[in-house]
Amino acid sequence: MNKLVKLFTIFISAISLTLASISSSFAKVEGEYIVLGSAISLTGKYSSNGVHTQNGYNMAVERINKMGGVNVGGKSYKFEIIYYDDESNPKRAAQLAERLIKQDGVHYMLGPYSSGLTKAIAPVTEKYKIPMVEANGASRSLFTKGYKYLFAVLSPANQYLEVAIDLAVEKNGGKPVRIAQAFEQDAFSQDVRLGILDAAKRTGSEIIIDDKLPKELNDMAATLAKVKATKPDVLVVSGHTKGALTAIRQIAEMKVDVPMLAMTHCDAAKLSKQHGKKSEYALCASQWHKNLSYKDKFFGSGKKYDKDFKKEFGYAPPYQSAESSAALLVFKDAFERANSFDRDKVRDALKTTEMQTFYGNIKFGPGGQNTAKPMILFQVRCKGDVCENKVVAPTKWASDKFYHPIPKWSERS
Amino acid sequence: MTAIKQKDLILYSGLIILGLVAPFLFSAFKVQLTYLCVLIVLAMTWNLQGGEMGYNSFGNILFYGLGMYLTASVQVGMFFPLAEWTESGGEKTFVHTTAQYFQGIGVGLLVAAIVPTIVAGAIGYAILGLRGHYFAICTLGLGIAAGEIAGGIEIIGAGQGFTTPPFPAEIVDPEARGQFFYFLSFLVLVLAFVFVKYIYGSRFRLILNAIRDNEDKAEAMGIQTMKYKIVGWMCSAFFCGLAGGIMGGLIGYIDSTDVAFDGREMGVFMVLMAILGGKGTLWGPIIGATLFHFFKEGLWTFILGWQYVALGVLIVVIVVYFPEGLMGWLREKYPERFGEVIDEKDRKAQVELK
Repeated sequence: MNKLVKLFTIFISAISLTLASISSSFAKVEGEYIVLGSAISLTGKYSSNGVHTQNGYNMAVERINKMGGVNVGGKSYKFEIIYYDDESNPKRAAQLAERLIKQDGVHYMLGPYSSGLTKAIAPVTEKYKIPMVEANGASRSLFTKGYKYLFAVLSPANQYLEVAIDLAVEKNGGKPVRIAQAFEQDAFSQDVRLGILDAAKRTGSEIIIDDKLPKELNDMAATLAKVKATKPDVLVVSGHTKGALTAIRQIAEMKVDVPMLAMTHCDAAKLSKQHGKKSEYALCASQWHKNLSYKDKFFGSGKKYDKDFKKEFGYAPPYQSAESSAALLVFKDAFERANSFDRDKVRDALKTTEMQTFYGNIKFGPGGQNTAKPMILFQVRCKGDVCENKVVAPTKWASDKFYHPIPKWSERS
Repeated sequence: MTAIKQKDLILYSGLIILGLVAPFLFSAFKVQLTYLCVLIVLAMTWNLQGGEMGYNSFGNILFYGLGMYLTASVQVGMFFPLAEWTESGGEKTFVHTTAQYFQGIGVGLLVAAIVPTIVAGAIGYAILGLRGHYFAICTLGLGIAAGEIAGGIEIIGAGQGFTTPPFPAEIVDPEARGQFFYFLSFLVLVLAFVFVKYIYGSRFRLILNAIRDNEDKAEAMGIQTMKYKIVGWMCSAFFCGLAGGIMGGLIGYIDSTDVAFDGREMGVFMVLMAILGGKGTLWGPIIGATLFHFFKEGLWTFILGWQYVALGVLIVVIVVYFPEGLMGWLREKYPERFGEVIDEKDRKAQVELK
């Protein structure tokens, strides 16, 4: 027993020593680097969108560093990001945020992917007064909690598909429509649902199907069977990338005829590529599209960003990447205006952000959400076998006319 | 129960002192240490059925998640309308005063300990008649079902998740929150240890062992195995509920399947930790949980994206090389340190006979 006690003492002292030696924290600004921290979903259900986010961050870091970096106090600094994998799990994300701040000494954070994970991280950054610019947490409830250090470059989730309902009513001659909707059980999609409920109330429309889909969904046949039977005017589906893919796959398989199909995450799911003609006429909410005419000096226009991104990563950038890149532009701007690394000064500078990026105008409302940029809707349109996303609303940006109603499957070639 | 030996006394007091000063020594690691305490509690109490009783349960996550939701709900519901708090729009914000926060979490934890215990009793009565794999699969289903059900209940936030009350803003010190949750979890850890240690010296443990080794025989000996099995599970549920309640407050956001009824992670981890350290021993789960946590926190960031592959390799290594866990392996190597005496003469004599 004596030896066992000794063994224990050795074990514990070894642990203590290791801990003590690594707890000497790093600085927020190391030499010429400004260190940002981010927990990103590299594995788990959000892994594909997590990678889009990470690519967006990396692209912007590289670009800003190459083009002179961040000028603070007459000296030029470069961005550097510490990444951890949050495994698409809010618990892990909260833990990693704590770790980034306490152990790695990070003083500025970039957001994770998805509203749920942002909801888990926001209380931590708020507690330590760490400014966080996030690009992928759109849930409305993030902006009503009175967070002071949270800034989102995107429009809140409830605005995603509200416009689609207005559009449906308009196409119906101003008369109310019958809506069928199915939403994943997660913070983001449930917020999109709230937006639809508001729009339905406003237009006097009736919701005839209101289904909940499980997380990581790969089957929604039950909902579609109901849609087939009740023939609604609009079908609304939201469930991140998997939701979009599942919906298109099964709608085509079951030959569900519905005059209007509104979704989210079409471009992240690369719908037009993966499903080609099957996805034609799908109406998608997006934070950004390459055809919009916003500009900045780092990425030029949306089209240029699209080209550079394709060259770098080999695929067209979904809006998740674009908004993530924009987050770094916001940080750079704030650092330079604050002309300091003081967290509160940086926060105050963030609060007064008013700028245009290739991704859109950015100005933060009192809750931290971006109030300067409208959502857009695009529709998947095909020419031969090549399908593309065409912006159809709002009219200011529209490059194509909205095609309505969707032809029946029996009439589609 | 035998009196505590002097050497043990030194060990225990050493560990307690270490536990008390740790958050100040390694201030940056408070949250990790809190997780460690919770993991140890989960592994130790899982060991009660998995190790001692031989009933491999994947369902303890049910009590953990239940505890989490209950603590948060009570903490909010005591002072504010719960439905408005969790309403998905979240337009209204309520703020707990310092007193309300602590009263709430106190009562919440109490409920989080009691209700899962009762639930364990009720469910146990229904399913503890199953044995072996059937029991394991059934409990696996319990955790998954609970997650899906919780994801549909509006009053606890459903798919939106449940943001637990933030730590009172009146306490300005940013370290206070970490310290509070650390000491809370450390307290639960000490309670759980004392309780499990007490069980290890009692007749109750022998009965659990008898059930594990041969349930029919135990029954034939006049032991009402059902009763003891249920009580054993209720003991685990009590501590799982408490652990869940603390974690809910610490994480600050409850999601039905990813945080609360997180069978895929926590539910598997607690089994893995107990097996890694050696199930059916007092120290095994503690060592297992500690090693596991260090492995996870230390190594995972270096192999970004591959951590689950590494975890898989670890599981294979454990199962192949340490089927009895670290404690079991040590026991085989150094039996005399575990109070097992080997009569060398007798052993040799037997070898020669052959």
